[in-house]
Amino acid sequence: MELFLQRLFDGLSQGSVYALIALGLVIIYRGTGHLNFAQGEMALFATYVVYQMGEWGWSIYPALLVGVLVGFVVGAVAEVALVRPVSKKSPFAVFIVTIGLFQFLNWLDGAIWGDQLLPNSGVGSKQSEFPSLFPDKPDDFVSIFGAAIKIESICVFLLVLAITGLLFLLFNKTKFGLSMRAVASNIESAKLVGIRTNTVLMASWGLAAAIGAIGGVVFAGINNNVNLGLMFTVFIYGSAAATLGGFDSPGGAVIGGLAIGVIENMVAGYLPEWVGQEMKIAVAFIVIVVVLLFKPSGLFGTSKVERV
Amino acid sequence: MTGVLHLSGVRAGYGQVNVLDDLSLEVGSGEIVVILGANGAGKTTTLRAVSGMIGRSGTIEFDGHSIAKSSPDAIVRAGVAQVPQGRGTFPELSVEDNLRTGAFVRSDREVGADIDRWFEVFPRLHERRTQRAGSLSGGEQQMLAIARALMSRPRLLLCDEPSLGLAPLITQELFQVITRLNAETGLSVLLVEQNANLAMQIASRVYLLETGRIVATGSAEELSADDSVRKAYLGF
Repeated sequence: MELFLQRLFDGLSQGSVYALIALGLVIIYRGTGHLNFAQGEMALFATYVVYQMGEWGWSIYPALLVGVLVGFVVGAVAEVALVRPVSKKSPFAVFIVTIGLFQFLNWLDGAIWGDQLLPNSGVGSKQSEFPSLFPDKPDDFVSIFGAAIKIESICVFLLVLAITGLLFLLFNKTKFGLSMRAVASNIESAKLVGIRTNTVLMASWGLAAAIGAIGGVVFAGINNNVNLGLMFTVFIYGSAAATLGGFDSPGGAVIGGLAIGVIENMVAGYLPEWVGQEMKIAVAFIVIVVVLLFKPSGLFGTSKVERV
Repeated sequence: MTGVLHLSGVRAGYGQVNVLDDLSLEVGSGEIVVILGANGAGKTTTLRAVSGMIGRSGTIEFDGHSIAKSSPDAIVRAGVAQVPQGRGTFPELSVEDNLRTGAFVRSDREVGADIDRWFEVFPRLHERRTQRAGSLSGGEQQMLAIARALMSRPRLLLCDEPSLGLAPLITQELFQVITRLNAETGLSVLLVEQNANLAMQIASRVYLLETGRIVATGSAEELSADDSVRKAYLGF
């Protein structure tokens, strides 16, 4: 029972990070129908900025604020300068551009914060120490039903719930949220009612990258480490989460992220010989394949139905 | 008669292809002007040129001010609302949220009161206020699209083939609503249609559009008296 609870909370806190990346993917996909391959790397860039602020003596919370702002700007600029010009030509071009942005940002991080003259895939590169947002000393535990649960895990989980709540309010109770939903639903009609669709798309990318930045900082904090490969697997888990929850459902992204985190930890914990820590990323791929086979729109996504 | 909308020498199209070629027309204050034309004549393109959705050149004036270079949102703010062709609603949004988007350019506090007002005019939308717009019938969606356009409190309403895909009875009902609004509020209307019979009944004036040019204009009576027009558009 204790072991189960520990694995559950470990899973929830890791899943929280996947949920944040998945949220970013979903916000962009809803707005434009594009899958942003650079989501993880935009988050990593912002995370490195936060790391840099720390090196300059800032404490983690004001540094996080700067990182979120930087993330927003990176996302907004990427949309205006790269995605918008090519999306007029072809959706495949956007696909290639986001992969290019992925490569570029990772190279840039390596050039600034790495330790190699010619940084490459990030494997075996410099590991820089990174502070956690929450108490994570060896004795920062609480006891729940006899299981020792990290305070950090609980805080991360609560943070994601808070962000999800705020996003829900933004989407459903504000004028900006209404314009985002309108653009996602029918961009032509959104223009006709006077919505500045370009501004909305720019802000959507900014918002997605800002949320990703929080995800990156939280994940680096859990690991107490930032390195060039930090977001590779997180991005895959985040994609699996968005696939599971439904690519057009923010709520689904969060539930999908938490579910993937828990499944991954349970499978790795209870099947140590079959799966274990080394193979647990396969779980994410299996989830993607199974969901695509049996419910392609995801658990909470809407399948496109049109009345004729 | 003071003109609300004035077009002259308008060219517009998609990419290199010009659909409208030297188009001129006028909508007077409080008029219901109908543009009749066959498929591909340029009816939708005319409306899209006015609402700023496509590249265009020439003179387009609304209330005496040029809108030929304005963006779609500036044109909505100026007081022109377009009901797009077919199902131009937001299918994933509730009926009420659809109406709310129509008030996007407004910042006053009377949006809620306006929503209630249109629910009175279209009781069926009221019944379905929390339903997703995509689940409505074609007629209900067309009503929703009109109500949404009116939420911006326009002085000129552009309607793109409201009868498309609707039963004649529903079309008649829609046209009655448009006539009533026109009579009660002085709303000017520019309506494009293929369905000449119904549209001619509510028109103050009619233009005939053929391959991007106006080929005839006059009152509904004048045009239905014209033999060639009658044969081509009214079928008797």
